[in-house]
Amino acid sequence: MPGPSLTYHDRSRIIWLVLLLLAAALMVVAESRSWLIEYPAGWQLPIATIVDTSMHWIVNRLKWLFRIVSGLLDLPLNGIQHLLSWLPWLTTSCVFVLIAWQGGGRRTATIVICGLTYIVGVGYWQECINTLSLVIVCIPLAVAIGFGIGVLGLKSKAANAVIQTILDLMQTVPAFAYLIPILLLFGFGPVVGLIASLMFSIPPMVRNTLLGLSRVPREVLESGIMSGCTPRQRFWWIEVPTALPQLLIGLNQTTMAALAMVIIAAIIGGFDDIGWEVLTSMRKADFGQSMLAGLVIVALAIILDRMTAAFATQRLPTASHSGLRPKRFGAALIAVCAATLAAAAALHPLWTWPDSWVYYPAHELNSVVDWIIVNLGATLETIRDFFLFYILLPVKLGLRRAIAPFTWGFSMTPAIAIGYWIAVFLMALLAWFTNGWRLAATTLVFGGILYYGVTGLAWPVTIAVLTVFAWQVAGPRVAAFVFGSLAYLLLTGIWKPAMLSIYLCSVSVTVCIVLGGLIGTLAAHSSFVSAIVRPINDTLQTMPQFVLLIPALMLFQVGEFPALIAIVAYAIVPMIRYTEQGLRNVPALAVEAGIVTGCTPFQLFWQIKLKLALPQILLGVNQTILFGLAMLVIAALVGTTGLGQEIYLALGKADAGRGIVGGIGMALIAMSADRIIQGYIRRSHNVVWSS
Amino acid sequence: MAYLLKKSKMLGLALASILAGALVLGANTASSAELGDDGEPIRLAFNEWTGQNISTHIAGTLLTQLGYEVEYITAGNFPQHQALADGDIHASLEVWTNNAGDIYPQMKEAGRIVDIGSLGLNPGEGWIYPMYMEDMCPGLPDWQALVDCKDVMVTADTFPQGRILSYPADWGARSADIIKGLALDYKAIPAGSEGALVAELQAAVAKQEALVMMFWSPHWILAEVDVGWVALPAYEAECTTDPAWGPNPDAINDCGVDAPDTMKVAWAGFQEKWPAAWELLSSFTLERSAQEQMMLQIDGNGRPLEEVVAEWVETNEAMLMPLVDAARM
Repeated sequence: MPGPSLTYHDRSRIIWLVLLLLAAALMVVAESRSWLIEYPAGWQLPIATIVDTSMHWIVNRLKWLFRIVSGLLDLPLNGIQHLLSWLPWLTTSCVFVLIAWQGGGRRTATIVICGLTYIVGVGYWQECINTLSLVIVCIPLAVAIGFGIGVLGLKSKAANAVIQTILDLMQTVPAFAYLIPILLLFGFGPVVGLIASLMFSIPPMVRNTLLGLSRVPREVLESGIMSGCTPRQRFWWIEVPTALPQLLIGLNQTTMAALAMVIIAAIIGGFDDIGWEVLTSMRKADFGQSMLAGLVIVALAIILDRMTAAFATQRLPTASHSGLRPKRFGAALIAVCAATLAAAAALHPLWTWPDSWVYYPAHELNSVVDWIIVNLGATLETIRDFFLFYILLPVKLGLRRAIAPFTWGFSMTPAIAIGYWIAVFLMALLAWFTNGWRLAATTLVFGGILYYGVTGLAWPVTIAVLTVFAWQVAGPRVAAFVFGSLAYLLLTGIWKPAMLSIYLCSVSVTVCIVLGGLIGTLAAHSSFVSAIVRPINDTLQTMPQFVLLIPALMLFQVGEFPALIAIVAYAIVPMIRYTEQGLRNVPALAVEAGIVTGCTPFQLFWQIKLKLALPQILLGVNQTILFGLAMLVIAALVGTTGLGQEIYLALGKADAGRGIVGGIGMALIAMSADRIIQGYIRRSHNVVWSS
Repeated sequence: MAYLLKKSKMLGLALASILAGALVLGANTASSAELGDDGEPIRLAFNEWTGQNISTHIAGTLLTQLGYEVEYITAGNFPQHQALADGDIHASLEVWTNNAGDIYPQMKEAGRIVDIGSLGLNPGEGWIYPMYMEDMCPGLPDWQALVDCKDVMVTADTFPQGRILSYPADWGARSADIIKGLALDYKAIPAGSEGALVAELQAAVAKQEALVMMFWSPHWILAEVDVGWVALPAYEAECTTDPAWGPNPDAINDCGVDAPDTMKVAWAGFQEKWPAAWELLSSFTLERSAQEQMMLQIDGNGRPLEEVVAEWVETNEAMLMPLVDAARM
């Protein structure tokens, strides 16, 4: 359809031209009118106060109800904690190993044995048990609730729409934001951690239930109807078993989410768990101790992940290990318990690991870190300063303010500014002639951002550019959502911290895209690289977020650079994975066609493979942004500014309103980014199909 | 085990003799009290720093000797006030009034938590610098020296301003206020945690670099690193309200910070439920030097907390037992 699409292009070209001219005019005007840069406090809506007052209103009236729930949840928690604390470490460990073997055979069992040996040997058994009891109580609840919600969503379309929005919120509002309301409602104690974990670990179960049940093949369903099953029988005997592999993947994700949140919720205290141990030692700058405790979390994460994943893969047709039959497995469990209890009763060290057997090399680790800081301090600082001077500061403050004798070795003179703008316009012209007006407009926008800095842009410009961008990329509905989100940030008075967050996140995500894309590409072309990268990815992703802060903090101290490193370490994983997967999934036929038509390897990669893999890679980018934003909040612990800090601050002030407003702000930023990318993928998909 | 038994026997003997002595004196001690409900354990907050853990553990040991059961509950510095208000935790023995967030005064005003009294410790707070900086920045410890040697203090993060490392943002904006009050061309950079502050100080000393940061005493690192305190105009209440006060006639906060206090805080129902414990905790105080010594033992030398505290309690029996006995009656 050349006709209408031409006018569409013309129209959007004019829109961008007008937009850029207006933006330029506004930026010039903003030089003398500071309210264009800093939204006046007098125009803000007191949303935080309203939330806070209504929160107190709810707390005062409904506290008794929540406290009853809290008391009920305390019962199983106490029971399990007491049981596990009483049991000899040998019994608990052997039961774990047996279950692991049942699920995944010798390999999984070996991994679990290694993990448990570390936990026991380093002397953190009790703390680990406390964490584990929270996770154990959380999992069945999360699975049951998640499954129920998933089934409900499948039955009704209206319910599904509501559920999807709530899931988005539950997964994007940072935990720090809702810890305070939970604390106020449910009271102090481990229940806070439990509720927070539930909030965070239900969504993956819901999503996997929806996915699993909606994918049950029609033939299977029909055969059920033919054989005269009642709907209930059909559901439990046919649909659920067919969806079981997906449900077990849900169990795996739910477990990992629960563990991650239990660790974060340790900040409240009340349970003497391993997360508390890490927090305390991080506070003391005792890196040896925080590393040892952090590794316990990693070990626990790997154990839980491999065990649950093993049961999920066991259901696949490719599985090689089937384990014992249920009856024999039960008997084996009982036998192991009895034998180990008897052994532990006879030999005390098998019951309680003696202190003299503990190997705790915190002191040695600290001397290693000291050595690194003294000997490599200068190098590390050079790296940090390079990133700060040439990347972080320009994006944050703009070249206008970042170029100075201290940073770049010379001052920003009007001549340089004019030279800069001439260069930008020349590049834009070049882009127009070689690639079209879109690239030219993009060049101008980035030229402007780099000159003024993310924090130095006038807010009407930011809002207009982002809204129009969302409209063009993903359509009017997404544009309305983005506009609403930005208006929220502005009206609640969190614009400035939000821009700081967006700045740090976008730099981190860019690093992830470049670096992760590169690694993913290499991994897609070489099985050797792929084999090296996979276990590293697995470890990074199972690691609870704030463990990643420890090495970054250790080497670079406080500031935005260690935060950047921690964010990249966490958020790069999906980028690598999706890039590799996307490139590997390119149909061999397409590649062959390229070779036959005489493409160079360079053309083959850029014009065929990358183009076909793009939707999947974009999904990776999407995940990377969500991961980056989630990590940003945790990174507030090492002293970043921005929205993460806002939310963290609210924790200290027990200011529920401020925390929730900041948390929702964070969620809206994440959801906006998500919708723009999803919209783009959908649209480009449609274009491919319709042409 | 046998050794322990012996020790406790000796302790018992000592206790009994002191008790006998106190009985005689007890007749005219007004502050005597009942044990109250000794069936339920008293839950003491265990916060995230070593000094607090020491104070709490000493108090807990004394309460045990008085006949109570004591539980230590890990609790975040701010969340603990909610726990105290609800009676989920019964007392927290080292609440720094300058770092208690907004929730502490709020709960106190609502009458849900009460101050037992000051713990002592004679704490200090202000800007510190490693001693060698007196060569890099002549004129220190006087604060005006910072005006002239700003260039030494400029860093990549703060450029074009000088950098002063400050507390984590959630501990309040003291440094930023002072910088503004004294119109210094500096920027306060929040450290993420106490650990980050300590690490910065250690790294700066290792590299002999310039550093000025907000800090407090008692702290074990001060036993390890030789520091000076920037002499700021001494705090007076008018300084924070009256711009005319102090060296900068146009701004408030042109002075150092008010000396902090460390408070023993309890759940509102504490005194009624455990009168003798209340008595004991009211009279319990701790010296700064004593806490600093124990901190160094634990954080510096890596010895276990329980061991260090038990040792200290034993050596200071003569001072501590009268407190226990006074509360018993």
